[in-house]
Amino acid sequence: MRKQRQRDAVWKFLTYSFVIVMTLGMMVPLYWMMVAATLPQEEFLQFPPRLYPGTAFFDNLAVLHEETDFLISIWNSVFIAVVYTVLSVLLCSMAGFAFAKYEFRFKEPIFYTILATLILPIQLLVIPLFLMMSQIGWTDTFRAIIIPWLANPIGIFLMRQNMKSIPDALLESARMDGATEFQIFYRIALPAMRSSVAALAIILFLFQWDLFLYPLVILEDSANYTIPVALSGLEESRRVNFDQIMVASSLAIIPMAILFLILQKQFVSGILAGSLKE
Amino acid sequence: MDTMSNDHTGGYNRRRLLQGSAALGLAAFAGCVGTEPDDDNGADDADDGADADGMADEIDVWGWDIAARAMMLTAEEYEAEHGGTINVEEFGREAMKEDLRSRLTAGSGAPDVAMLEMIDGPAEIDTGAILEISDRLDEAGIEDDFVEGAWASLTDDDGAYAIPWDIGPTAVYYRRDVYDEHGLEADAIETWDDFIEEGQKLPDDVYMTEIPENDLDGVWRYQFRQLGNRPFTEDGEVNIYNDDSIQIAETIKRLYDEDVGRLIEGWSPAWFDAYGAGDIASLPSAAWMEGTLRDELPETDGLWGVYRIPAHEEGGPRASNWGGSSLMIPSQIDGAERDRAWDFITWTLATDEMQLLMYDEYGLFPALETTYENEEVFDEELDFYDGQPARRLFADVAEEMPEYEYSVNTPEVSDAINNHFFAMLRDDLDPEEAVENAAEEVADRTDRELA
Repeated sequence: MRKQRQRDAVWKFLTYSFVIVMTLGMMVPLYWMMVAATLPQEEFLQFPPRLYPGTAFFDNLAVLHEETDFLISIWNSVFIAVVYTVLSVLLCSMAGFAFAKYEFRFKEPIFYTILATLILPIQLLVIPLFLMMSQIGWTDTFRAIIIPWLANPIGIFLMRQNMKSIPDALLESARMDGATEFQIFYRIALPAMRSSVAALAIILFLFQWDLFLYPLVILEDSANYTIPVALSGLEESRRVNFDQIMVASSLAIIPMAILFLILQKQFVSGILAGSLKE
Repeated sequence: MDTMSNDHTGGYNRRRLLQGSAALGLAAFAGCVGTEPDDDNGADDADDGADADGMADEIDVWGWDIAARAMMLTAEEYEAEHGGTINVEEFGREAMKEDLRSRLTAGSGAPDVAMLEMIDGPAEIDTGAILEISDRLDEAGIEDDFVEGAWASLTDDDGAYAIPWDIGPTAVYYRRDVYDEHGLEADAIETWDDFIEEGQKLPDDVYMTEIPENDLDGVWRYQFRQLGNRPFTEDGEVNIYNDDSIQIAETIKRLYDEDVGRLIEGWSPAWFDAYGAGDIASLPSAAWMEGTLRDELPETDGLWGVYRIPAHEEGGPRASNWGGSSLMIPSQIDGAERDRAWDFITWTLATDEMQLLMYDEYGLFPALETTYENEEVFDEELDFYDGQPARRLFADVAEEMPEYEYSVNTPEVSDAINNHFFAMLRDDLDPEEAVENAAEEVADRTDRELA
């Protein structure tokens, strides 16, 4: 009995040590980014590096703002990511629901075709998409950034797996009570999927938030730039404006961090939910 | 690399801010619809909005950082002199390359004029997306106004595709104070042997030069060019395994073995720190390095001098080039836009005033040879070099530098040289072996024969 407890304690100690070391390893670059955001460029380039915060944060921020309209880029990114996330969550949930709960012809082939598009890297899609967008006159618009990515294969897959766990009897009884199919989806299926929706929202938000090459090609006016596109302008051919990049990167993770803090509980259970086969 | 951000007047920034705020309001109002596409992207309607000369009223020009800012200056002058509207767009370097490549490949949406680095020249020309300009060049009669060595990477068998803009004549930057303190004489250095000999006068904690572990191919390339080589023969065979190449590898290895050169990551914080503190006394580089040193190490202003890169043998050549860029017109641009684009390019690059303006403001060393006759500019005694007229030295080097052709396979060459030269230093390998291995790797990866 005591032996067992001892072994548990050792095990726990090892687990925690490992987790703490890994956490520190991941925190160090973040910490350095935030410290660097407060240093003037000369001090950033100092060697050995300075590891405690300086006082130049607002100076760096002011220069950043002069150079890039960065506040506008933050707004653009937030706007695009939020609109995209809301629309895409809705679309993916509906598709997932259909694939999980309805029978229709070619259901399986269609589903696996959608899944198969996962193997296409974004880089491959940029040029054909750019051509399509310029043919319909959508270049330099937000809708061109949002609409082509709405049907997200990962999202459809995730929602299909999770929707499968809804008991058919529940849907059946709703039908008997006279609910329309959309009401069943909206009133019964979706609320039951709250944690999966939260997980999907984070995944989709992050996808859109990090998208670089595509918006770079589509967006032309610097007033329309998203954060990654605006950041790319800070890298010059013979010098990189580290001070501004660090400030910008520090600001850029804030919305992401807020979203994750709000949704983190649901995120973990949402990701795990589809992993068990009943 | 200049203190650009401070150069702009408040008006410019205010304007951008206002534009930004307007867009913010619009975006919030219009929601998902965003802003309307502007259709001034050349290819659409060639005849649309042409003026009396048959040239388009408006063109878009792309460049990155100081190059873009330099063109904003010439665009302003151009508009005052010739009319028209030149929209210069500033990008980050990699961002512009990726964006431009996508649009060139797509065959639409490219700007009317774009900057092209010489190192990328052959690969971009090879795609067929760049307009061939030989006839226009002949008609304008400006080809001979540029240094001969600048054309090789901008031409193929069919003709020329871009006009040279700036180049990077090489020189060794050195810290006068460190040389003086330890009794080194810059004038005594003619060959790499002399260089190493002088370097040995320095104490143990001060190095004579850097060996940039991440840019060994850059070091190899400028010396390879200095000795008049090209990486591939006319028939396309790999030409990097030869006596000159071995000699270069031996030189680099000697610098390392005799502790004269410090192996360090170029452009890293430690690197800047070492040059700022005078822990490394010399920096073989090119004309553009001045701007970076001024910017990043302002406390060293007035402490620098330059001399020509050492020869490999007594009386050997001491001129080469490192870097450079040009302006080109995408072949998808035609009609009135193409004419305006050509007019703007020749104004910017082929007139002395504009090239000197860009040199003066942004340190872009002109490829336009006729500018070197301007004594006021090139013989000026510069405070940064403690009164040395360094521009004359760079101009002399530019006129002597041998032609060098980058190729579609430049990336493979860079990789192979970097890897095998680094291995040579790390594992103490024979220089000839390192060169041979690099040549074989290039041949293998590019499906070519060894020359």
